[in-house]
Amino acid sequence: MRAVPLARHNLFQDRRRAALSVSGLAVALLLVLVLNGIFAGAIRQVTAYLRNAPADVVISQRGVRTMHMSASALPGDALRAARRVRGVAGADAIRYTSATLHGREGSQLAYVIGYDVRTDRGGPWNLVSGHTPRTGEIVVDEVAADNLGVRIGGPVEVLGRQFTVAGISRGGTSITNTTAFLPTADFAAIRGPALSYVLVRAERGTSPRVLAARLERQIPGVTVQTKEEFVHEEGSIVRDMSADLMQIMSFIAFLIALAVIALTLFTATLAKLREYAVVKALGASAWRLGRTVVAQAVWSVGLALVLAVVLAFLVGAALAAFTPNVRVAIEPSSVTRTALAAVAAGAVGALVPLRRVIRLDPATAFKR
Amino acid sequence: MSLTPVPALRARGLTKTFGEGALAVTAVHQVDLEVARGEVALLMGPSGSGKTTLLSMLGGMLRPTNGTVEVDGIDLTRARERDLPRLRARQFGFVFQDFNLLGALSAQENVELACNLAGVTGARAHARARELLDRFGLGERLRFLPAQMSGGEQQRVAIARALANNPPVLLADEPTANLDSKIGHEVARLLRALAHDEGRSVLMVSHDTRLEEVADRVLWLEDGALKDLERMATDPVCGMAVARDAGPHFQHAGTTWRFCSPACRDDFAADPTRFARRAAPTA
Repeated sequence: MRAVPLARHNLFQDRRRAALSVSGLAVALLLVLVLNGIFAGAIRQVTAYLRNAPADVVISQRGVRTMHMSASALPGDALRAARRVRGVAGADAIRYTSATLHGREGSQLAYVIGYDVRTDRGGPWNLVSGHTPRTGEIVVDEVAADNLGVRIGGPVEVLGRQFTVAGISRGGTSITNTTAFLPTADFAAIRGPALSYVLVRAERGTSPRVLAARLERQIPGVTVQTKEEFVHEEGSIVRDMSADLMQIMSFIAFLIALAVIALTLFTATLAKLREYAVVKALGASAWRLGRTVVAQAVWSVGLALVLAVVLAFLVGAALAAFTPNVRVAIEPSSVTRTALAAVAAGAVGALVPLRRVIRLDPATAFKR
Repeated sequence: MSLTPVPALRARGLTKTFGEGALAVTAVHQVDLEVARGEVALLMGPSGSGKTTLLSMLGGMLRPTNGTVEVDGIDLTRARERDLPRLRARQFGFVFQDFNLLGALSAQENVELACNLAGVTGARAHARARELLDRFGLGERLRFLPAQMSGGEQQRVAIARALANNPPVLLADEPTANLDSKIGHEVARLLRALAHDEGRSVLMVSHDTRLEEVADRVLWLEDGALKDLERMATDPVCGMAVARDAGPHFQHAGTTWRFCSPACRDDFAADPTRFARRAAPTA
């Protein structure tokens, strides 16, 4: 049965104060969400090439499990050996290195990938303009093209040689670097014939995990991972590099949230202490008054969380518009973690007001 | 409605001492008190005499050091701490000096909240609140916040709230203190009607001597103990009840006058005829 919602009425009696309190809490939660969102966005961007690559399994030099901050040189017959393994539908090799792209207006760190332009597998997954590169040509990401000040037909220098931009791709630039694609023959002419990775497609009905194990058994000197494993490893590098910073920033944001919610609940309770004494005198138990404080915490945290999530999406959209290399990915797991942190902050922040109302003397209702 | 001899509220040997040892202060001492069904009792006394402490104990908000309080045969002093809120919610209606309405709730919600505390929720509480507010002429003010109502309206809402749980006992602390004389008189008559017409026991604590008009009985509390008003006199300067045989006094025209304080005595002594004209001698 419905009872008078005292908590809600008390909390929102002074709407300006309530709005400020909820906004303050929301900003603290927003900080956590956006930080996590930038982090998740960076991982998505860093792993974008692999996630979009035509592969179920990735072969690399033994002990090499990532592209980021790694160099891989496969045995010479790794590609042919892979194609002979049962369950392999197809395999394509790429050459890879990290290098700096130089344009008219700037430079940018890049994953430079040499791929077989005849099959077009392992190249740009979203070519928005131009064409597949031919000898002496390169495909660069649209964000990088802006930063470098180049267009199709323009010059870009990489690995000590000048290339002409043949195409513009999308989705390959992250907060740290971009992706550029060359014909594999050009790459080999500059850096030698070694292959870096083999992208393997599994036959229908073949488990990538089983195929990876089979490939590793049959090809000496390689490490084989499913694409998901490779992406996870790649993401882990970013996570490991940023984990401490993220934890510190998140902890600070949590402390801010805690301070705001504690202050909100404390002032809301203190302002109504005499009224709570009256309610207690009228017959409310300490438990019932405690529920009122808890309900205020739930309202504050709930509204702040909703506001923070909405603002996080808006901030993400704004960042995408003004700084295209920064992507904010608000993931459900991040929202859940932030919600749990907010609930924890609400619970801790409610302790002092709870103690006050539970210990409140109802006889103070008679005091002048 | 005629008075019945069965008291709804009864206190025996009620004593409250704050602190211990040399610092102990006895605020209420050995008070015996009964308020019958349908009776209006007025408890008066100087500031600091222990009225609020006594009211708090009678209302089950403060544990006495000694003595018992019974309401409708239930001994509050033996009730478990956790049962006291429920007993307050079902046995008492409280009217406070400053109205003490909840500022964020409308008139109707203030009354409904008291219904909720007594275990009535939803549509039944809604209807009960409307009925009570209609009865007190506040049917057009249901959605008004306390700040949007006059003092008289607020006190009527407070009385409606006190009746939400249909209590046998009403405890009113200075119910007319913040009201002008006309509205104060209306509120006093309303409280009397609740006692005489509905058989509730009403105990009012007040400094307002106008309430004597509606009271069936006046009790005088001084220094934490009830005094016999038959043996009290009236200070001709301030109108307070004072002991007939103790305290400051002054002889004028062959009569002994008693005062609450030397200050009143000195005022009287400065112009005895001015005060003597409007008061009867005390001895």
